[in-house]
Amino acid sequence: MSEPVVVIRDLHKEFRRDAIRIPVLSGMNLEMAEGDFLSLMGPSGSGKSTLLNLIAGLDKPTSGTVIVVGEDLSDLTEGELAQWRSRYIGFVFQLYNLIPVLTAYENVELPLTLTGLSRRERDQQVKTALDVVGLADRMDHFPRQLSGGQEQRVAIARAIATDPTLLVADEPTGDLDAQSAGEILDLMQRLNSEFGKTIIMVTHDPHAAERASRQLHLEKGVLVDDVSVTATNQEQP
Amino acid sequence: MKTLKYIWRNVARNKLRTMLTVLSVGFSLALMTVLHGYMVMQSVWGRDADKHNRVVVMNIQGFSGALPIANVDDVRAIENVIDAVPFSWYGGTYEDQPMAFAQFATDADHAFRVWDDYKIDPDELRAWQENRQGCVADRRLAERKGWKVGDRIPLKGTFLAFDLDLQLCGLYDAPQYTDSIWFHWEYLNEGLKQANAFGVDNSGTIYAKVTSASQIPLVIEAIDARFASSQNPTRTQTEAAFVQMFTDMLGNIQAYIRNIGLAVVFSLSLVAANAMAMSMRERTTEIAVLKAIGFPRGHVLRMILGEACLIALFGGLLGIGLGCAFLEALHSVNTQIFPFGLADLAGPWLLVMLGAAAGIGLVSGIVPGIRAAQLSVVDGLRRVV
Ligand SMILES: Nc1ncnc2c1ncn2[C@@H]1O[C@H](COP(=O)(O)OP(=O)(O)O)[C@@H](O)[C@H]1O
Ligand SMILES: [Mg+2]
Repeated sequence: MSEPVVVIRDLHKEFRRDAIRIPVLSGMNLEMAEGDFLSLMGPSGSGKSTLLNLIAGLDKPTSGTVIVVGEDLSDLTEGELAQWRSRYIGFVFQLYNLIPVLTAYENVELPLTLTGLSRRERDQQVKTALDVVGLADRMDHFPRQLSGGQEQRVAIARAIATDPTLLVADEPTGDLDAQSAGEILDLMQRLNSEFGKTIIMVTHDPHAAERASRQLHLEKGVLVDDVSVTATNQEQP
Repeated sequence: MKTLKYIWRNVARNKLRTMLTVLSVGFSLALMTVLHGYMVMQSVWGRDADKHNRVVVMNIQGFSGALPIANVDDVRAIENVIDAVPFSWYGGTYEDQPMAFAQFATDADHAFRVWDDYKIDPDELRAWQENRQGCVADRRLAERKGWKVGDRIPLKGTFLAFDLDLQLCGLYDAPQYTDSIWFHWEYLNEGLKQANAFGVDNSGTIYAKVTSASQIPLVIEAIDARFASSQNPTRTQTEAAFVQMFTDMLGNIQAYIRNIGLAVVFSLSLVAANAMAMSMRERTTEIAVLKAIGFPRGHVLRMILGEACLIALFGGLLGIGLGCAFLEALHSVNTQIFPFGLADLAGPWLLVMLGAAAGIGLVSGIVPGIRAAQLSVVDGLRRVV
């Protein structure tokens, strides 16, 4: 087996509001192998988004180690993290968060402008990504001209355009009707099985969670495996 | 380029807000351009003052000191002086308007020998010379005021205690607009004498015409030497230097205008900055997304500065356009009153205006830009979740 994509050891994260400490993650461990499709459930406010932010290098842990794609994130400066994210991480948000003044094509092209790719290479990759999500015919549409499900598919195309190792999706179906949500989940599964993307997806919907190859629950600051209590969590001293 | 397109779309995003910012920058820079045009006009007025070999004599203490009328003959007697005249500022009120135009007391028999570049009909000149209360006016001034030869022009004295009742005898053409009328120094002086008023026997200044430019330094020296030991020593200078003296005074006004202009530009920057800050607040999530995707801080900052500068630059172009159009319109209405066109304005001024626009852009974009660049992605994303 190749080395794991995500390694989290004894991760603590707390927020401070004035003098009050709000512990969110307390001594969490996690390992994700390449090609894992992990769904993360848990009550609202349990720290799911916080965990995703830490994995994606958007936030710093209070203590503990986060190693993603072989990189210990605490070693990187903010600038290095930005560059690292643009190479290895793809984001999918609940509210799609497309840039409203850019067309579908331009939204997908956006992360590619940070790479050294030529215009032609970018064009190639944008079209491939839009093809994968089935929206090649909508590339000149602006977000407001698309349905929610279509917007989210464009957002997924944007996330995969740079061919990142890890896809991070925070409730990607949270704002969609059942049919659109189903399409998005199909797509996520395909990205995992066909394109070998490692995916971590937060969801509230147990049916959505079942699409993943592994389901975890976040409760009281630690992870609980749904299928079987994993070795990672039992290792805790 | 990709980023430019994005910046452009952001500029066009809130059209009303962008337009208001462009208009406010545009109008104030147009105002600056018009003020600048006015200042250029002042300098154009004195432009050819050194061509005509004239010198101006005044009391060494300036305009407050007296220059006895007898000095005029003494100046005429100096070698290489062709002719000389008293030239005294009256500063009267016409139809209740103070400073409506300039009025000078001078010598009708000699004036057009000193100002030999001014043209007047010989019959009209003779009519003036024979009419004690007569006067001559710059033709453009007469046109502006609607005067005809024969009209009466009553003037009320301001600092001189004698009112004039003048009659227009003729019109002269000067190479540049003089905005003046000339009347008999004798008429004024007798009136002052009878009223027992201040200013009797004072020639104000003396204008003298010199044979050639090369003689001017010697003539100046000779005139000042002639009166050095008198009760009223003189200061003589070329007409150009004399005009420059006024321009220097205007220079202070120019500095004043410039400072006001800078203040206007600065306060506009704040207006534009406020508009930018509003735009950025609305786009917080979007900026957080850009940063999540991997846009570095510098990139975000540059995009926002670019947007602010683009908006300000449109304002700058509008301002230059409006300002120049206004000046050009004045110029075409009356080339004499407004003796310059865009050629006198171009070049450096356009650069200054564009620089001011860029400055407004940078100042207005820097704070919102830095705040956006430093925005925490996590906080920015949380606002929607
Ligand atoms: N930047 C922050 N400042 C303070 N508290 C925060 C911040 N981010 C998250 N929290 C708190 O951390 C907890 C977990 O938040 P979050 O990870 O968003 O939960 P979830 O995604 O599971 O709903 C919540 O109680 C939330 O209020
Ligand atoms: Mg959340």
